[in-house]
Amino acid sequence: MSTYLIETQNLGKRYGDVQAVENLSLRVAEGEIYAFLGLNGAGKTTTIRMLLGMIRPTSGTATVLQTRVRLGSRQPWDRVGYLVEIPHAYPELSVYENLEAARRLHPGTPPAAVSQIIERLGLAAYAGRRAGNLSQGNAQRLGLARALLHNPRLVFLDEPANGLDPAGIVEIRQLLLELTHQQGVTVFMSSHILAEVARLAGRVGIIHQGRLLQELDVDELERRRLRRLLVRARDPEAARRVLASAGFAVESLPDGLLQLNQPACIEHPDDIASLLVRAEIPPTQLLVEEEELEQYFLRLVGDVK
Amino acid sequence: MNTFLDMLWVEMRKTLRSRMPLFTVLGSMLMPFGVAFLVFVSRNPDISHKLGLVSAKATLMADAATTWPAYLTLIGEMIGAGGFFFFCLILSWIFGREFSDGTLKDMLAVPVPRSRILLAKFAVSAAWSVGLSLVVVALSLLMGALIGLPGGSTAVILQGCLRALAVAGLTIVVVMPFALFASIGRGYLLPVGVAVLVLIMANVVQVAGWGEYFPWAIPVFLSQPKLTLTAASYWVVFFTGLAGIAATYLWWKFSDQSR
Repeated sequence: MSTYLIETQNLGKRYGDVQAVENLSLRVAEGEIYAFLGLNGAGKTTTIRMLLGMIRPTSGTATVLQTRVRLGSRQPWDRVGYLVEIPHAYPELSVYENLEAARRLHPGTPPAAVSQIIERLGLAAYAGRRAGNLSQGNAQRLGLARALLHNPRLVFLDEPANGLDPAGIVEIRQLLLELTHQQGVTVFMSSHILAEVARLAGRVGIIHQGRLLQELDVDELERRRLRRLLVRARDPEAARRVLASAGFAVESLPDGLLQLNQPACIEHPDDIASLLVRAEIPPTQLLVEEEELEQYFLRLVGDVK
Repeated sequence: MNTFLDMLWVEMRKTLRSRMPLFTVLGSMLMPFGVAFLVFVSRNPDISHKLGLVSAKATLMADAATTWPAYLTLIGEMIGAGGFFFFCLILSWIFGREFSDGTLKDMLAVPVPRSRILLAKFAVSAAWSVGLSLVVVALSLLMGALIGLPGGSTAVILQGCLRALAVAGLTIVVVMPFALFASIGRGYLLPVGVAVLVLIMANVVQVAGWGEYFPWAIPVFLSQPKLTLTAASYWVVFFTGLAGIAATYLWWKFSDQSR
């Protein structure tokens, strides 16, 4: 039986007339990477802040590490790390001093943890530099270092790849995968970078206008993305007639492309090629195209609108 | 206790690494310099004639402060009014910077009780304010000696210094509610605005004869050797400080932190 490190039941937050989050019920199992997808203002950060006890929900409950979250409570934060929105640090303190200050906010964390996390996040060259003089990418690393400093069991990361260069993104992805696979750390992350989510997360929750639209495994997400077969021939109209007479629904696209959506075509494009060759209209191009995650996401939230 | 010491370390480090302590020391040094200068001008008619408007001000403010007891009384008054502003600024900076720097969220979901985080902030603010007061009093003594004030004996000077420091002590206590204003205003503007309003109100209340019961007028009241404060005034100061600390704690513990 799975242990759930995060559980919410009908969680909601209303600011006056604005319902920021509504009836949010989700569960995150130990050791998984759960990605929270949504447009700006969808309610991602409000949800994370409620889960961290920074905002009082107007309805429902949240449980983190089997402890009911209450505003201003000391529990269960000793094994929870977080990076919420833009990573801020004390600008006049060095990277090392900022992390030392963070260490002292987590009693029991050994002093050596500061140097270790500096090494791990590639901040050694900047350890003595004032945080106010860091680049955006290094400030993000410092924020991640602070979240991971005390060896947490559960980490909340709000847009963890923000400001990182491509090498940094790969590095942080490796680090998060290592944390979950080798140390069993559970990650709850929000992101706009859908391709990144697909590479990292095991499960995805899609939130729009404060409501959880879908919660699904990444494999299922892959299955739900639309796929199509694109066919190009020298005589598109003749090819369309052949395919239509064989019982396929064919849609003509601009530039002479033909689109087929039936699973049989997508699974066996070679059959389509054979059919056209036999009719002496050989295809000049056959392409199975998968819907981009962004398109899937926009299609989903567009349906709701 | 250990977590309190840790929080104290954090607050001390944040303070010492910033330029604010230097700015407040330099700023507060203007008080004894200014008072001594005015006393010097009022005691030297030759210079006074040449300075016009400054001379008029010197006559108005420092004419009576030509001896050590009167000079130290004036310093006490300065601490009661000018010190109030500096102590407000210190407290507002210590609390308000967490909002303006965006660092508040990093001290909310932590296993350290919020009371210890806040106590460390109040403690550093008080220590900083006491340090500033000691600088002002020490510099005042130096300036008084330099301009050659008469009527100074060890007992007189000691009594004047202790009175000025007592004024500083009461002022440090009555500015505690400004931590709440810095928290509610999420920065420095609200507390500074309220401080201006409070100073105006303190003057009005004092003229009306209720100064000894208005928390922010009481310290200046104490600076006057001819006036004596009743126990009620000390209770007002005590409860004002306590209410400021308690209200700040409750606000940090129970208000939504959405930024």
